[in-house]
Amino acid sequence: MLTAMADAFAGFRLAEVEGIPVLWKRDRRFKTFRFSLIARRPLDERAAARSLLPSMLLQGTERDPDRPALARRMEMLYGAAVLPSTSKIGESHLLRFSLDSVAGSHVPGEPDLLSDGLDFLGDILARPRLENGEFATGVFRREQVQAAHEVRALFNDKMVYAGQQALSQACAGEPMAIPEHGGVAAIEALQPADPERARADFLQHGQMWGVAMGALPEEGSLERIGAFLTALPARSPEPVGDPVQVEPRPARADVERANVQQAKQVLVYRVPWTNESRTWVARALFASMLGGGPHSRLFREVREKQSLAYYAHAAVDRNKGLLQVHVGLDESAAERVQVETQKQIEELAAGRFEPAELETARAGLLSTLAAIDDSIGDRMEFTSRQWLLQQDRTPEQQAELYASIQQDEVASSMDGVWLDYSYLLAPQATEAKT
Amino acid sequence: MTAENGFEIVRDDLLDEDVWLGETSKGLRVRVVPTDRFHEASAIITFRYGSTDLGFRSEGSEHKSPEGVAHYLEHKLFEDEEIQVFQRFAERGAKVNAMTGFTRTSYHFMATDRVLENLDDLLALVSQAHINKENVDKERGIIAQEIRMYEDSADYRLFFDFLSCLFPVHPVRHPVGGTVDSIQAITPEELLTCYAAFYRTGNAAMSVAGPVDPHEIMAAAERCGLEAGGSPDSVWPEDLGPVETARRELTLQIPRHKVYMGVKDRTLVPDAEDRLRRQLVTELLLDRLFSASSEIREDLRQRNVADDSLSSTYMSDFNFGFLLVDCETDDPATAIDGIREALFRPVTIDEDHLERVRRKFLGKYVRSFASVYNLALSQAHEALEGIPPFQSLQRLASVTGDEVVARQQELLRDDSFACVVGLPG
Repeated sequence: MLTAMADAFAGFRLAEVEGIPVLWKRDRRFKTFRFSLIARRPLDERAAARSLLPSMLLQGTERDPDRPALARRMEMLYGAAVLPSTSKIGESHLLRFSLDSVAGSHVPGEPDLLSDGLDFLGDILARPRLENGEFATGVFRREQVQAAHEVRALFNDKMVYAGQQALSQACAGEPMAIPEHGGVAAIEALQPADPERARADFLQHGQMWGVAMGALPEEGSLERIGAFLTALPARSPEPVGDPVQVEPRPARADVERANVQQAKQVLVYRVPWTNESRTWVARALFASMLGGGPHSRLFREVREKQSLAYYAHAAVDRNKGLLQVHVGLDESAAERVQVETQKQIEELAAGRFEPAELETARAGLLSTLAAIDDSIGDRMEFTSRQWLLQQDRTPEQQAELYASIQQDEVASSMDGVWLDYSYLLAPQATEAKT
Repeated sequence: MTAENGFEIVRDDLLDEDVWLGETSKGLRVRVVPTDRFHEASAIITFRYGSTDLGFRSEGSEHKSPEGVAHYLEHKLFEDEEIQVFQRFAERGAKVNAMTGFTRTSYHFMATDRVLENLDDLLALVSQAHINKENVDKERGIIAQEIRMYEDSADYRLFFDFLSCLFPVHPVRHPVGGTVDSIQAITPEELLTCYAAFYRTGNAAMSVAGPVDPHEIMAAAERCGLEAGGSPDSVWPEDLGPVETARRELTLQIPRHKVYMGVKDRTLVPDAEDRLRRQLVTELLLDRLFSASSEIREDLRQRNVADDSLSSTYMSDFNFGFLLVDCETDDPATAIDGIREALFRPVTIDEDHLERVRRKFLGKYVRSFASVYNLALSQAHEALEGIPPFQSLQRLASVTGDEVVARQQELLRDDSFACVVGLPG
């Protein structure tokens, strides 16, 4: 059932279909299209069950009983990716059901790949292969073990591992500390009924929306999406609250020893959370000047001039209110890098930067926005983020906002920033410096 | 094919794409994909010079290089202080980067504005080598940090250990960036010698894709200051014999055992088109064995031989080739035996399977045109190899099941097999 809403949002068309907002943009520049149905829940102790769900759903459906059968069906759809996945945004857990396909107009016979793909997605989402209302115990146990292995294997990517460790310690006691996968202990504690409960919870209580873009059919895209959404159960969505904030406290530090040659340092700063977009745009410019690439203070001062690090990046997280600095360095340089980072933050916050620094940071961010329509995935993500924030802005309008930010706004945007936590993953051979 | 002002234009009607092919007066091959489908343009210049180029003949003698010299040279050119490369690109909002592989070094940028100025700078930075003892010594510490970062990756260590088992002498066995020890031997003179040998118009190709005018791109390419000249006479030690070290173990800080196993390709294919066909046929073989739709993979999973971490790849170029399968496991002996048995057991390929795989590969090919960077990169590589555009689908349509079966018999030989086990330590 289609319901009238404001008919545009963030440059996409908008309609309510089966009670779910659907944003879509037909764009014939592309030879592919994508549709995603997204459900949002708070990040909590159910994270492990939710993260296991995608792999459980790919074990088979009522129609395609096992993984090879599912994979063969995707191959017949010209290699379409018909996949569930989960991700973490701030203190929210998102479940995505996505169909990513070439357009029928670019393959022999011009098949209706949107309808075929949505049928398939509906099977995975609404008709998984269950036994007595839950996933088969043997299948569950195997996927549970696999998931625990995959989490342990994150250690193999030291940069990712250090980032995860830093966040879980910096935000201990807050939902943000929960990793997207829930952690090994939580995975190992799961019971066979938990993934199906997580599926039902997402579908019934998730804050849900759909997004589609690309070479969609000229006529009837929304009707096809509507037919797919009828597979969903009755819904009673629950809102997700604002992120937890903490009062300033003395900075904490940890050193973890491992068999590594290059140390990884993560500095977690808190910035006061606000829903005010202009402040976050100014903060993005600040972070870019601090550590957004080769033009930044950290790259030029820490890497090039002082040769203290191999890499140094900074980024703000609007969904939680964090400024994170990630550095790959020799352990002996860690203290100096921390001091230098603090000094550069203070310099920028005091407005002691050249107009050219700001303009270079701005040029990079504006260029990214100018290219965002070149990628279906990037543009859909932009629109989804706008929807989450209920901020009806196109990339062009967002660019205008970036262009309007003044030097003093950038400097003052970080008022109240404070270092909460410093994490160092360091080699075993030497003593800790912090 | 049509012609316009020094360009040949090749069109693909299914994809609705044109590629313009040209060459500068100094012999630099140029391809342009002019398209308004993107707001961003991507430009790449690539040289046939990579980590395996550790020897070449010059003026009657053979020059030998330390491991890691191509990567070191990329760092030095890329961080050219004279034109403050990062700053100038950044001021225009452009993203610039470079990469070194086994057989190629590439420099590229992405930009939504002032593409020609960025292109002039990209070509300028590869056209002169501002190299002296001071800046070479300064770079050594940064490269050493990069190498240490890679060496902290268990997969990187296992990958190059695996290659060193397969190839006792061929330089593909060495890490692309060299080692912290090997880069100590790299001098300004060494870098300048290699620069003079490899950074020449006839050893390079350039490609630009996006909302650009091909004639303006060609004019910029004509301004490129690279010396004219062809590819140097590179020398690689012959290494097509049996594997000498069939199994090795390596203790690493990893939570579970990892196994890397596979075979060395014992034949080289000099012709680029023939090599691409062989690459495709081998990928079809791996798809038959280990794709998600394969009952062979599913059987390995059901019998707890290999879990979802199993992955496979075939890599080849004009001077090497190998097939690699890797996975994590609690029982390396069972994994190695089971996967090896699957690799060597003769496959059957029926028409249903071929039809599904053709569809899948067609979808993948169409998808590859969704990225302006992929467009530029693939055209630069094809130009360097002299491959005409848009041949992939013809190649795919003509492959038969018998070819795949024959390829398995040719490639999978007992004395070509090696494995490396990563032990949790």
